[in-house]
Amino acid sequence: MTTPSAPSPSGTGITVRGLTKTFGSFTAVDDLSFEVAPGRVTGFLGPNGAGKTTTLRMLLGLVRPTAGEALIGGRRYADLPAPMSTVGAALEATGFHPGRSGRNHLRVLAASHGIPDRRVDELLDLVGIPAAARKKAGGYSMGMRQRLGLAAALLGDPDVLLLDEPANGLDPEGIRWMRGFMRHLAQEQGKTVLVSSHLLGEVEQTVEDVVIIANGRMARQGTIDELRGEPAVLVRVGDPAALARVLQEAGLEVQPEDGGLRVSGADAARVGEAAHAAGHPVHELRPLRTDLERLFLELTESPEHRNRNLATGTEAA
Amino acid sequence: MISLVRAELRKYVTTRLSWSMPLAMAVLGGLFAALQGLFLAVIGEFPAPDGSMIVPAELFGEEVVARLVYTGAVQIGYLLALVLGILSMSGEFRHKTITATLLAAPRRGRLIAAKVVSVAVVVALNAVAFTVGSVAGGAITLAIGDLALFPDPAGLLATFARMILVLVLWGLMGFGLGVLITNQVVALFVGVGVTLLVEPLLGLGLTFVEQLADASKFFPSQASMSALDLFAGVDAGAAQTLGAAQDALSWGWATLVLLGYAAVMATLGWVLTARRDVA
Ligand SMILES: Nc1ncnc2c1ncn2[C@@H]1O[C@H](COP(=O)(O)OP(=O)(O)OP(=O)(O)O)[C@@H](O)[C@H]1O
Ligand SMILES: [Mg+2]
Repeated sequence: MTTPSAPSPSGTGITVRGLTKTFGSFTAVDDLSFEVAPGRVTGFLGPNGAGKTTTLRMLLGLVRPTAGEALIGGRRYADLPAPMSTVGAALEATGFHPGRSGRNHLRVLAASHGIPDRRVDELLDLVGIPAAARKKAGGYSMGMRQRLGLAAALLGDPDVLLLDEPANGLDPEGIRWMRGFMRHLAQEQGKTVLVSSHLLGEVEQTVEDVVIIANGRMARQGTIDELRGEPAVLVRVGDPAALARVLQEAGLEVQPEDGGLRVSGADAARVGEAAHAAGHPVHELRPLRTDLERLFLELTESPEHRNRNLATGTEAA
Repeated sequence: MISLVRAELRKYVTTRLSWSMPLAMAVLGGLFAALQGLFLAVIGEFPAPDGSMIVPAELFGEEVVARLVYTGAVQIGYLLALVLGILSMSGEFRHKTITATLLAAPRRGRLIAAKVVSVAVVVALNAVAFTVGSVAGGAITLAIGDLALFPDPAGLLATFARMILVLVLWGLMGFGLGVLITNQVVALFVGVGVTLLVEPLLGLGLTFVEQLADASKFFPSQASMSALDLFAGVDAGAAQTLGAAQDALSWGWATLVLLGYAAVMATLGWVLTARRDVA
């Protein structure tokens, strides 16, 4: 009875299909398509001006797509019966009335969905600003605004969370808290999380899937493990050619690299033992980690993805 | 829908405006009603163009004087109501709360409807404060002038009801303006500027154009005065000595004209809001 396109029964996913937005003659988002699997944390990555915020705003019905569609659980945001109970969003540049307390800001939103004040206070405890939230929002620090924004997103206990650069403006302690919090939401509460960032390293430990865009176009998508590729180790010995034969006979893939050998599909222990058994004193042995940040830069700065926002700027400089 | 109205009302009661505006309404209402009373009741006479003295209480009767005094601040009242209406929408853009608002109420037509209702409620409450202030300020001067405070209670109640209605309609016109012009400063500037400057100048200009001389009675301020129906039962010529317009609209038509302005602006704003990108 299940068709491939039927939404997963265990949660709410996100579908973006052929999504395009032009502002005048400028194409901010260009024929973008991807899926966010239910119950997983997906990183939505791209350099400044890549179109992340615009995409999220189209998902939320704030910006009208020029073409294509952006659906949550198969529906447009505006068609959700109680939107805040399905999707919670914390977007950048969300404002607060400077004369209204953070708690009252939440109470206003709560009123629109018939959510009781008790829930508001619960969330203020959860994000750690119960006392400060009674002061006027005009005096809030960046970190408090982020926490208040997060509380607003969680108000309706939604299945899906869209977080736009939630770590922006947070101190290291705040960033650690935010990471732990996102993991908690996904792993313990089974929520679908789409979190944007312009730094892969910032979300690397938190996300399971990634969607990388550059200049409004898809650059790469997959799981973070796919992005990392197979684990590999670098080994250096006196006679690399001899060791290479030994390792190849053991069924490992070996390539010369940097005066040593790059061995794919094996960990350091296995390579070290093989070298020892064959009587090769090991000079160096270390796991090769894919430098995700470098990969990200390569992906987003390859000639076809060179940042259009900076092009005219460098000319003028 | 009811919950959206509740959210809008909660927005209003959680800022300083919820007490500062009614306070301003009551105080200014009292002051300007008292000023009107100073001329019409305390001094109680002024020279007519032909040199003879006009005593309003004798010429029009005490009911009319009471009406004129109690509504003497209405221009200030509807300007403040206009401001309240403007702030409802443009404040959301100014403080960037529109994003959170639209996330909670993504169907923009419903949001606009909820805001229209809440503006009407909020302005009505403010208009009550304004009326109370006006009555207090006016009554003092009527008492000093030794005139009846409530000569025609039923008639005065009708006048107060009309004044509250006029203020609500101005609040809705302001709301429409705030939806049309999302920049708060510009919207306030345009709203107050048109009312205080453009409308009177245009009215003056039109008196020189024969075919259009009548048009100024459809202007918001003039229609508002007509909607108050202050000169009911008074000879039209005599009413003009107190500033009543020549063949003004009947109060029913005047109310409809104001409602028309509010409806046109809110509809335009709604159409624009429905397709506007909020980024
Ligand atoms: N309303 C708008 N009018 C014109 N251009 C816009 C508008 N909104 C966004 N843009 C442009 O679209 C591009 C994408 O912007 P967007 O905010 O989506 O990028 P982003 O990936 O979120 O960047 P950042 O990491 O800096 O937040 C930018 O070049 C931006 O200048
Ligand atoms: Mg952004």
